[in-house]
Amino acid sequence: MPDNDQPELPGSGKERLSPIPDPHDPGSVQHRETAVAGEEFSVEKQIDLTQKSYSQGELIRRRFFHHRGAMISLGFLLFITLMAVSSIGYGFIPGWWPKDYTVTSTVTDGGRPSLSLFPPVWGEQPFGQDDVGKDYFALTMRGTQRSLTIAFTVGILTTLLGTVIGAIAGYFRGWVEAILMRITDLFIVIPLLVLAAVLGQSSGGGIWPLAIMLSLVSWTGLARLVRGEVLSLREREFVTAAEAIGTSPWRIIFKHILPNTMGTIIVSATLTIATVILLESALSFLGFGVKAPDTSLGLLISTYQNSFTVRPWLFWWPGLIILGIALSVNFLGDGLRDAFDPRQSRSSD
Amino acid sequence: MLRFILRRLGVSALILFLGSVFLFFITVLSGDPLEDLRESRERTAPQQMEARIRNMNLNEPWYVRYWIWLTGVARCVTLNCDLGTDSRGADIGTALVNAAGSTLRLVTLATILAIIIGVTLGILAAIRQYSGFDYAVTFAAFLFFSLPVFWVAVLLKEYGAIRFNNWIADPAISLTATIVIALLVAFTLASLLGGDMRRRLVTGGVSAVVAFAAITYFDSVGWWRQPALGLPLIILVAAAAGILLTYVAVGRSNRKIFYAALTTVAAGAVGWFVFNGWIVTPTYPLLLLMFGISIVAAIVIGWFWGGWDRNIAIWVSIGTATAFAFATALDQLLRNWGPFLERKPRPISTIGSGSPNFSGPFWTGVWDWGVQLILPTIVLTVISLAGYSRYTRASMLETIRQDYVRTARSKGLSERVVISKHALRNALIPITTIVAFDFAGLIGGAVVTETVFGWKGMGAMFQEGLQRVDPGPVMAFYLVTGTAAVFMNMMADIAYAFLDPRIRT
Amino acid sequence: MTATTTDNTSGAVLDFADVDVRFSTEFGSVHAVKGVSLHVNPGEVVALVGESGSGKSVTSMTAMRLLPSNARIGGEITVNGHAIRSISEGAMRRLRGNDIAMVFQEPMTALNPVLTIGTQMTEALELHGIASGRAALERAIELLDMVGIPEPERRVKQYPHELSGGQRQRVVIAIAISCDPKVIIADEPTTALDVTVQADILDLLRSLKDKLNTGILLITHNMGVVADMADRVCVMFKGELVETGTADEVLLNPQHDYTKMLLGSVPRLGAGRDQMGINIADVEVEEGAELAIDLQNLVIEYHRMGKPPFRAVDDVSFQVRQGEIVGLVGESGSGKSTIGRCALGLIPAAGGSFRLLGQDITGMKRHQLKAIRRRIGVIFQDPAASLNPRLPIGECISEPMVVHKVGNRKSQEQKVYELLDAVELPREVYNRYPHEVSGGQRQRISIARALTLDPELLVADEPTSALDVSVQAKVLNIFSDLQARYKFACLFISHDLAVIDLLAHNVVVLQNGRVVEAGPREQVLMDPQEEYTRRLLAAAPVPDPREQRSRREERHALLRQLGDEIAELKGDSDEFHSASAHSDDLG
Repeated sequence: MPDNDQPELPGSGKERLSPIPDPHDPGSVQHRETAVAGEEFSVEKQIDLTQKSYSQGELIRRRFFHHRGAMISLGFLLFITLMAVSSIGYGFIPGWWPKDYTVTSTVTDGGRPSLSLFPPVWGEQPFGQDDVGKDYFALTMRGTQRSLTIAFTVGILTTLLGTVIGAIAGYFRGWVEAILMRITDLFIVIPLLVLAAVLGQSSGGGIWPLAIMLSLVSWTGLARLVRGEVLSLREREFVTAAEAIGTSPWRIIFKHILPNTMGTIIVSATLTIATVILLESALSFLGFGVKAPDTSLGLLISTYQNSFTVRPWLFWWPGLIILGIALSVNFLGDGLRDAFDPRQSRSSD
Repeated sequence: MLRFILRRLGVSALILFLGSVFLFFITVLSGDPLEDLRESRERTAPQQMEARIRNMNLNEPWYVRYWIWLTGVARCVTLNCDLGTDSRGADIGTALVNAAGSTLRLVTLATILAIIIGVTLGILAAIRQYSGFDYAVTFAAFLFFSLPVFWVAVLLKEYGAIRFNNWIADPAISLTATIVIALLVAFTLASLLGGDMRRRLVTGGVSAVVAFAAITYFDSVGWWRQPALGLPLIILVAAAAGILLTYVAVGRSNRKIFYAALTTVAAGAVGWFVFNGWIVTPTYPLLLLMFGISIVAAIVIGWFWGGWDRNIAIWVSIGTATAFAFATALDQLLRNWGPFLERKPRPISTIGSGSPNFSGPFWTGVWDWGVQLILPTIVLTVISLAGYSRYTRASMLETIRQDYVRTARSKGLSERVVISKHALRNALIPITTIVAFDFAGLIGGAVVTETVFGWKGMGAMFQEGLQRVDPGPVMAFYLVTGTAAVFMNMMADIAYAFLDPRIRT
Repeated sequence: MTATTTDNTSGAVLDFADVDVRFSTEFGSVHAVKGVSLHVNPGEVVALVGESGSGKSVTSMTAMRLLPSNARIGGEITVNGHAIRSISEGAMRRLRGNDIAMVFQEPMTALNPVLTIGTQMTEALELHGIASGRAALERAIELLDMVGIPEPERRVKQYPHELSGGQRQRVVIAIAISCDPKVIIADEPTTALDVTVQADILDLLRSLKDKLNTGILLITHNMGVVADMADRVCVMFKGELVETGTADEVLLNPQHDYTKMLLGSVPRLGAGRDQMGINIADVEVEEGAELAIDLQNLVIEYHRMGKPPFRAVDDVSFQVRQGEIVGLVGESGSGKSTIGRCALGLIPAAGGSFRLLGQDITGMKRHQLKAIRRRIGVIFQDPAASLNPRLPIGECISEPMVVHKVGNRKSQEQKVYELLDAVELPREVYNRYPHEVSGGQRQRISIARALTLDPELLVADEPTSALDVSVQAKVLNIFSDLQARYKFACLFISHDLAVIDLLAHNVVVLQNGRVVEAGPREQVLMDPQEEYTRRLLAAAPVPDPREQRSRREERHALLRQLGDEIAELKGDSDEFHSASAHSDDLG
C-alpha cells in the first residue's frame, strides 16, 4: 500500500488522500472534515455535497483559461484570423479593405509602408506596395488566409486520421499496428519535407489538393502518440472491467479510451497546425506548394526574397506573420498540455 | 548485442528498400516530365523530347524503370555504381559524389552541435527549473520551433554574410554594442550559476566588467582582423577543460585525476613545441596523426596516474588532450584569419559551399570552406536544438523525481554527483530515440537551407530532379540521405544499448 | 561540525522535538505534521504507525532533510547529537549515509537501473572515506554476503533488473548499513514484498539492530509488522501523534480511540470468522446444482517474442459452488490473477477446460461470451484505475445495464440509487466524478458496478489490497452484507491470508502456477498439510506482540526443520564496526 503523504494535485487523476482539507478549491480532494459520529477517525474524506461538482473537463478548462501565455496566444491567433478573413473578405463575404490583391497601381513613396505605431497611422498602404504597385496588405492577408485554410484543414483531417488509425492499432494490434509502425519507420528514411514535396508537386499547386496531400503525410505522429496512449490505457483496470462486462470493442474505444486520450489528441492537433504552417510555407518557398496565380505566405517570401535590400518590408511582413502564427499556436499547445497534465505545469513543483 | 545490431540492420535495410519503391513510384507519378517540351514551339523540341525519353527510359513502365535503377544500385557492392543519367543525359553518380560531401558535412556537423548544445541547455534548464535561465531557454525553444527555416536563412544571409562582410572591412564595435554584449553575458552567467541575490549580482558584475574589458581590448588591438590565442591561452583553455572534467567526473576530492589532467596539459605544451612545424603547415593525414599521438599520450598518462580510478583518469586525460588539440587548431585558424582576409576581402560569400579556384596555405583553405559552413550550420542547429533542449529538460525533470535519485541523495552524495552520475544517464535514454526522427527533419531542413545559400548539394539535386519529374536525382538523394538516416538510427540504437543495461541482456 | 546535544533525550540517536511541517501548494498551505515529538535510542526499534495522510513519512523525511522545497519545517531534529536544522548543506550531506541511512519501500525503483550494484554500493563507502577502489569493492561483496545474498562476487557486477525484489531490498539494506549508521529510517520496507520475503527481511533488520546496536525508525501501516519488530510504538493520525508507548502497551491495551479503532479493523489470522462484525454464513447447496466455476486441468500460457511460451498456470483444477466464496491465495507470480482474468474471458486457456456457470468458455464465440458475462461481476485492485475518470459515478455503475440493454433510463437510474444505498454512499454522488471521492469509496462504487446485473458469480481480484486497514474493514463489511443478501458465488483472489480467513468457505493455495493445497478454510488454514502452506502461514504476522513472538519462534523452528537458513546479519559486530571505523575520524 503506497503511503503518499505528499499532496497530489487535484484533477491529475492521481489524487490520494491529502492530509489537510482546503474548503476553497472545488477540485481539491481536501474538503473540510465534518465529523460524523462513529466516523470520527476515518481516513476517508467525507463527500462534501454542498459544493459544486466539477468534471475533469471543467477543471481542465479552468486551468487553461488561467494560463496567461495560452490566452495571449489565443487572442493573437483570433485577431490574425479575423483580420485575414474580414479585411479582404472570404468567398462571397465582402471585406472592409478596399484594395484588391491582384490589382496593380502606381507606386507611391517607393512602396514604403504607411503603417506606424507612434503616432498610430494606418494610411493608404499599411504594409507597403510591391514593385508593380500591388497593395501588400491585401496580398499578405490573402496569403495568410490561404496558409491558415491549409493549416486548419490539415489539422482537422490529420487529427481524424491519426486518432482512428492510432486507436485501432493500439487496441486491436495486429496488421494495422504493423503497417502503422512500418510507415512511421518510413519517415526516418524519407524526411517529411521530402515526401511532402513530392506529393505537393503532384497536387498541382491548388490549396485543397495540397491540403489533402499534406494530411496524408502528417498523420503518423499523432497516430503513434494515440497508439501509445491506447496501449497503456487498455491495461488500466477500468478498460479491463469494461471488457469483462462484455462491452463491445468500439464502445470501449470511443466511450472509455478515447475520452481519456483527449489531452494528447488536442495538444497534438494544435502542434500539427504549427508544423503544417511551417511545412506549407517551406514547400511553397521551394516551389512545390501553392503556386501562382494563388498565393500563400511562403510563396510571398519566395517571390520577394531578393528584394530584401531594396524593399525589406516585402520580406518582413509574411515572415513575421508565419512566425507569429506558429509561435502562438505552439504556446497554445503548451497551455493545453499544462491544463491536461498539471504535473508538468510551471505553477506547481 | 551483436545480434541486436544485426537485427536492427536487417529491418533498416528492408525499410530502405520499401521506401525506395514508394519514393520512386510517387516521384514518377508527380507530374509529366515532358510538359515543358510539349508546350515548346522550338524546332528542336521533338529531338529534345526523344533525347529525354532515352535518358530517362520513359518508354518503359515505372516498375521497369525502377528495376533498372535498382540493378544499377546493386552494382555498388562491386564498387561499380550506376545511378543512371538525369533528364539532360548527365551521369548522376558523378554529380552525387560532389554533392554528397558538402551536404553530409553540413548535416553531420549540425546534428552533433544540436545534440551537444541542446542537451546541455536542457539539463541546465532542468537543474535551474523556474529560473530566469529556464524561462529564457523555454522561450527560445518555442521561438526556434516556430521559425520558418528559409526565412531565417535569408535573414542570416543578409546579416551574417553581407553586413558582416561590410563590417569586417573596417571592424569596430561601438560603445553601445559593447555594453549590450557585456550585459547579456552578465545576465546569462548570473542566472546560470544561480545562488542568492548577492551572489548573482557579484557574478553578473564581474562577468560584465570582464566582457567589457575584453571587447574593448580586442577592439583596440585590431583583434577582429588579426586574432590569435598563443600558447599561454591554449594552456589555459586546456587546463580549464581538465579541471572542469575532473570536477564533473569525481569532484574535488580525487587528486590523482586532477594530476592526470594537468600532466596531460604539460605533455601537450611539450608536444606543441615538438610538432610546431607540422602544426603550422599541416595536411589532413598529419593532423590526424598528431591527434592520434595526443590521444595515446593521454591514455598513457591516465593509466599512469589513475590507480583504482584508471578508467575515469583515462577519460579525463583524453578529454583534456582533445581540448588542447582543438585549442591549438583554433589558434592556428585564428592566426590565418588575416591571411585569409587578404585573399578574400569579403570572406563569407552568399552563394556556394566554397570559393572556386581558391588557393592558399592549409589553414586558409580550411577557412575557405569552413566559413561557408558557418551560416547554414547555424540555421540547422538552431532549428533542431530546440527539440533537444525541450525533450532533455522534460526527461531530466522526470528522472529527478525518481526514487533512485532520492536513494542517491540519502547516501549523502552531493548534487553534482546525483545529477551527473545518477540522473543524467537515465535522462539521456529516451533522447536517443528522437535522434533518428530529428535527423530526418534535419535533412529536410538541409534541402531548404541549401536552396537559400545556393549550395550545389543534395538538396539542390533533389529539388531540380523533382521539378523535372526526374526520379534519377531524387533517388540518388534518397540513397545518400536514407543510408545516412539508417546509419544515424543505428548509432542511436547503439547509444541506447550502451546507456541502458536492461536491453543489453 | 556543530554539535548541540540536547539534554532531555541523552543517548537518543534520533530525536524529533515538536516537529511541524507545512507544504505550500497551489491551493494554499497544507499542514502535514503538527508538532510531533519522539526519539529513537541505539539498538531500539521505534515503529511509527498510521494510515495514509497521517504524516508519518513526512516526519521521517525531515530527519534526512530531503523534503521538497515547498515544505516549511518547524521544531528541532537531532541526529546523533547534531541539530540538523541549523547545520550547513555540506555538513548534512556528511551525516546522510554516515550517521543516518534510509531503507525505502519500493525496491524495484530505489536502485538506479543503469548502474551496477557494485557501483551503487561503493560510492557511499568512497564518499564517506571508509574504503576506496578495490577495497571498497571487497567491502561491498562482504556487505552483500552479510545481508544474505548468494554469490556476492557475481552480484556486484550485475544490474538491479537482474535481481529479484527481495534481493534488491537486501541490497538497499546493505547500502544503508554500509557506513555503519547510528540510525536507520525504514520507510515501509516490506510493503511491496511477498509475505515470506517480508518475514526474512524483518529477521534481517532485527539481527542488524541486535548486532550493530543501530536504532531503527520503522514506518509502517501493518500492525503485524509492528508487533513483530517494534520495541516502542508511536501512532499518528492526520499529522498528530495520538499515542505512544511500548509495543505491548499500545497493541494490547490501546488508550486512544483511534488506536482502538485501528486495531479493531485488522483481521487476525487464526481468529476465524466472527471478527469486525463480519459473519459469513455457511452455504447449503443442493447436490447436483450446477457449479459456478469448474476448472479441469487448466493451462494458461503467455507467448513471448523469440522465446518458448511462459506457462503461468499449469494443470489447475478446482470448483466454486453456487453461493460459495473461494479464496485463491498465493504470492506474486503464482498465477492467481491470471486465473481470475481467464474466468472473465480476457485470456484464452491453452489447455484443459474452464466451465463457468455450467458452460465451457474455452473457445466460446464473442456473443456467447457476452451472454455469460452478463451473469458475472468483477472487482479489481486499484481504486485509482478501476473507474473511468471521464464518466460520472452514476454512469460508471449503470454501464453494464447500458451494454446489455437492460431496462430503460428511468429503471436504470432507480437501480443505481438502490446500489448506492447498498454500498452506503449518498445518492447525490450520482453526478459526481471518480476523482472527487477517495479510494475506499471508489472501491465501493466498483462493488456496486459489479452487482448491477445481479450476478451469480463475482470475481474479486485483490479488492482491498490497496486500501488502508480501517477502510478495508468498511469495504469488507459491505461486501459480506451484500453477499449475505444476494448470495452470489465469489472467487476471491488475495495475498492476505487473514482476509481469506475472514471471508472464504474454501481455500486454494497456488504456487508458481500450480495448486499446492485446496480444501475447506478450517482445514487449509488451521491444519495445513503441505510445506509451502505452512511456510506461508508461519510468515504472516499477527498484531499481537506476544503471540507474534511465539509464532516467530515456531517459524524459525519450522525453517530449521525444513533445513532452511534463518535470515540474519552474518559476521559479528566488532568486526563490522572496525571495518567501518575510520568514518568517525573523518566526520
